[in-house]
Amino acid sequence: MRSRWRDGDRVREVEVVPEGGGRYRVTVDGIPFEVFAECLPDDRLRLTTAEAATIAELSATAARRFVRLGTLDFVLDRETSGRRREGRAHAGGLESPMPGVVTRVMVAAGDAVTKGQPLLALEAMKMEHLIRAPRDGRIRSIAARAGEMVNGGVPLVELEDPA
Amino acid sequence: MFQKVLIANRGEIACRIARTLRSMGVRSVAVCSEADRGALHARVADEARVIGPAEPRASYLNIEALIRAAKTSGAEAIHPGYGFLAENAAFAAAVEAAGLVFIGPTPDQVRAMGDKRAARAIAVEAGVPVVPGAEGRDAAALVTDAERLGFPVIVKAALGGGGKGMRIVEDRGALAEALESATRLAQSAFGDGAIYLEKRLERARHVEVQVAGDGHGRAVHLFERECSLQRRHQKVVEESPSAAVDEPLRERLTAAAVALAGSVRYRGLGTVEFLLAPDGGFYFLEMNTRLQVEHPVTEGVTGLDLVGWQLEIAAAGRLPSVPGRITRRGHAIEARVYAEDAARNFLPQAGRAVRVRWPEGPEMRVDTGIASGDDVPVHYDPILAKVIAVGPTRAEALERLARALDESVVHGLVTNLPFLRALVRAPAVQRGEVDTEWIEREFLAGFAAVATAPAPELALAAVAIGELLGVPKPPAPRAGARRPSVFATLGRWRHPGLA
Repeated sequence: MRSRWRDGDRVREVEVVPEGGGRYRVTVDGIPFEVFAECLPDDRLRLTTAEAATIAELSATAARRFVRLGTLDFVLDRETSGRRREGRAHAGGLESPMPGVVTRVMVAAGDAVTKGQPLLALEAMKMEHLIRAPRDGRIRSIAARAGEMVNGGVPLVELEDPA
Repeated sequence: MFQKVLIANRGEIACRIARTLRSMGVRSVAVCSEADRGALHARVADEARVIGPAEPRASYLNIEALIRAAKTSGAEAIHPGYGFLAENAAFAAAVEAAGLVFIGPTPDQVRAMGDKRAARAIAVEAGVPVVPGAEGRDAAALVTDAERLGFPVIVKAALGGGGKGMRIVEDRGALAEALESATRLAQSAFGDGAIYLEKRLERARHVEVQVAGDGHGRAVHLFERECSLQRRHQKVVEESPSAAVDEPLRERLTAAAVALAGSVRYRGLGTVEFLLAPDGGFYFLEMNTRLQVEHPVTEGVTGLDLVGWQLEIAAAGRLPSVPGRITRRGHAIEARVYAEDAARNFLPQAGRAVRVRWPEGPEMRVDTGIASGDDVPVHYDPILAKVIAVGPTRAEALERLARALDESVVHGLVTNLPFLRALVRAPAVQRGEVDTEWIEREFLAGFAAVATAPAPELALAAVAIGELLGVPKPPAPRAGARRPSVFATLGRWRHPGLA
């Protein structure tokens, strides 16, 4: 089985081939290795490789996986539409970085903006976050109104190249 | 003592207050917004009332709804916790006008200390040194004052405090614009555009003194706390005693704090905050007229229950009797667990905490507002819990805290646990050589580089093999108020030697 996972700013490719008896051939970003895996209660796996034995503790919310190895925690997001996501970023979509309330919209469709200019303000957890223009451009559309509640990862502003 | 007390707050502090009420045989009434139905603080109280929509203004900041909930539930007193209405004089006055007891200072004391300029004047009157500064509404005069003080200066909102509404100005050129924007911001955030200037003290530490007053002029101190480890002017790790305070300095600091509290006949628990300059000079910053987030470190070294003190002062009008002198022993240190991504500009996080596990042990205490399966809504302060360790020495307490943070698990949303684990192991923190800007100046970039490094191959193998095996099982629907023994999730708190 092949899967792609967003790990911070990068996408990681994993392939898992079951070999029977709890043995798996795993390839991560082209590097193959053997893993012996055993299910434990409470969504834990005992993983044994040529080098070490570790317990991995797994939790999930939607497409997000939380994995704890020893005392270290990692967060990985399942990429189902990696290509589309990249495409959208190129098209200039600006997403809400977190769920929150849009408190101020400082630009309108058609406005020319310069890199770093605040476009709108989002308030969450009692803190205000400014969403700024990542580059010079022109506002194509705005998909949020002041006072509106938005989820994380929702496109809020579409930016196009300066006319 | 009261029969029944309403807790006008949420999260970890509401749970913390409920625990002392229970230990004193006082019934507790929790309030919650619609977003907090079934939240841990509502489950641990004896009864819970929904007071309004998620929006704080309509619920936790809704004075009328809170007083109505207290009246209809038969509570005689209201504990405000910290944040929300804890330092709102109108709320304190409304509680008293309704014939209820406000567990805190008098409305006048809340008002006086809430206006940071008035508080500075009270400190000067009591002979307590204040940070050199200036006030006045005339912008031209303030520019002259700033030049006299010397740049950089800090522009602060008179009704701000706690790092809110402050702005550092590096040179004269930026001052006019800063004064104007600070006035505008203060007007919109605090309903009063009054501002003042303070000289910015470089490499200063934040040291504060816990005080308690009986309301008749008698005041005592419960030693100091060091809170220099801050990000964005908000504390993340606090401890007692301070590594920077020796006995002669401790005597001067605590005497100044007691003089200030005594001079206003302070009632209840309060905290007098100071900046400690590298040359050993200390300056009054502000007084917080409430229970402090970091009060557990004082409890850790004194063995006292500070919420119990608040209740006794409010109910009996006197300080609790302590056999002999109030003493301290060992060292206590606390780390605040926040729902925020420290590697990405401390972006707040919300979601469901699907897996929550806290460390257990005799020298460990966890004050939490969440258990496994609880939601963390977007509307409120992102604090989730506080992990506190005690030990005979600072080094041992710090080592225990490091291990406690390793053992703490919150899955379902990104937290600052990785940041805290790295922070308490940083050599400068181990040596105690930090100031209020040290995290941003010397720690953050290195941490972010490590935190954004690729996950190990084994982490990816684990999630991918998990997908094949159906691990983790799909998240179960939220069960609401269901667990029989929520106190089992609250962790233990015990003082070494008092157990």
